[in-house]
Amino acid sequence: MTKLLLTTALAALATGAAAQDRQLQLYNWGDYTSPEMIEKFEAETGIDVTITDYDSNDTALAKISAGGHGFDLVVPSAHMVPVYVEQGLIQELDLSKLPNHANIAPEWVDVDWDPGRRYTIPWQWGSTAVAVNTSAYSGDINTSDVIFHPPAELEGKINVVPEMSDVMALAILNQGGELCTEDLDVLKRVRDMLMDAKPHWLSMDYDSEAKLSANDIMAALTWNGPTMRARLNNPPVQYGYPKEGYPLWMDSVALLSDAQNVDEAYEFLNFIMAPENAALISNFARYANGITGSEEFMDPEMRDAPEIVIPEEFKANGHFLPTCPPSANDLYTRIWTELQS
Amino acid sequence: MQEAAVRSLLIATTAAVASTAVATLAALGTARQGRFRGRTAIYALINQPLMVPEIVTAVSLLIVFGVIRSSTGYQGLGYLMLAHSAFCIPFAYLPIRARLENMDRTLELAAADLYATPVQAFRRITLPLLMPGIIAGAMLAFVISLDDVVITEFVKSAGQDTLATYMLGQFRRTLTPEVNAISAVLLAITLALLTAFFLITRKRA
Repeated sequence: MTKLLLTTALAALATGAAAQDRQLQLYNWGDYTSPEMIEKFEAETGIDVTITDYDSNDTALAKISAGGHGFDLVVPSAHMVPVYVEQGLIQELDLSKLPNHANIAPEWVDVDWDPGRRYTIPWQWGSTAVAVNTSAYSGDINTSDVIFHPPAELEGKINVVPEMSDVMALAILNQGGELCTEDLDVLKRVRDMLMDAKPHWLSMDYDSEAKLSANDIMAALTWNGPTMRARLNNPPVQYGYPKEGYPLWMDSVALLSDAQNVDEAYEFLNFIMAPENAALISNFARYANGITGSEEFMDPEMRDAPEIVIPEEFKANGHFLPTCPPSANDLYTRIWTELQS
Repeated sequence: MQEAAVRSLLIATTAAVASTAVATLAALGTARQGRFRGRTAIYALINQPLMVPEIVTAVSLLIVFGVIRSSTGYQGLGYLMLAHSAFCIPFAYLPIRARLENMDRTLELAAADLYATPVQAFRRITLPLLMPGIIAGAMLAFVISLDDVVITEFVKSAGQDTLATYMLGQFRRTLTPEVNAISAVLLAITLALLTAFFLITRKRA
């Protein structure tokens, strides 16, 4: 053990100096990168990929803006991309080095946060909505009322994901407000509704998947990926798309301005836009990826899963979360703090 | 995951050794020299990591190390080792100082009386009597380093996840048996060391 520690110590201390073979530093959300996809990329290119985890957009932004981080690629959420661009933290892509750029599905090219996809490449996208165990509740599940005004059948059997922006967005849409609203009348109603609803919930944590699978809870405000995994374990679990509106999100890969391994990063970006490789990413984390033709390489149970492929009639109700101004976020934080205490 | 575990142990060992060495010197300096100007200031400085919120330390270190990284290009484990050693000092310092204050000074005086040089008196008398405090301090520092999340998350360079930050990254998905297993092992190590810490400090007290 001592010997192992010592050799690792020497290797670790020397990292800065050692001239390595081709390598790539990916800074991504924890448990989000398909190991199978990375192995395939390493085998094909001989590039050694190191993955480092982060747990929030804020941590990632703080580390990257401090400089000297050593990362090449980062995977921010949609509303963070303009911040990275404004601060000059990510560089414009040379599309001539990315022949697979044409594979980006048309609806994901001209997105608000990066028109023409000049800075970012789609990684995965999904939605935040409601999951209901239909053996416990047979009413309409395409409404956020199942969480905010829970029916008697779901009383005390609800888990809510502790993500402020998602919960606030669903609550504001439920009250007919606009995303990022600072209208105090709307926010007053949102606050009252959340405070009234909370006693009917069981918990606020990230573990909806296991709890839905085990029938510990009968409804959840959660993401589509965990709901799909729960349904595969426990078929009565269904995903509802609230008619009042629900938030969509997308995480995209960006090339950092101070990346050390730029050529390797381009190879990686091009690699993940090949449909068969994008499918590997989706198969691991169970979210859609925004690359045309990747569906046929996905696991069969994902291809037409109603959690992954949004049914046509519900598509219009999905809204991307814009970057809210700090004044709006301050108001939301106050409501959120009250809700959590 | 295995790499993260080895990395955690490596950092914790380094931090325990380094912080205990500094803490021992600090304890000798502050508890043995009588009152002197600036002693209170030195106490405050040594115990600063206990008073300042961890996130403040983390962000400050992030900025300082960011500048160093940019100018030197060094990306190794040194930053994490340095940061952990620094915030572990007060945890190692407190048991050592408690031990020193309860130690009978006449033993050292007797040694000096019998023509022991200060170095001999320190090596033969003070250090052996201080050992339980030093071991207890080192173990406490080891555990604190092993458990740290906030500072590590901000200071780590590319590819330097420790067990604690690895676990944090897993939390947004469902808890895997793997995470449960790591937690159980970490809890066992912590409990074992804390029990040993308790037994060592209690002995002869």
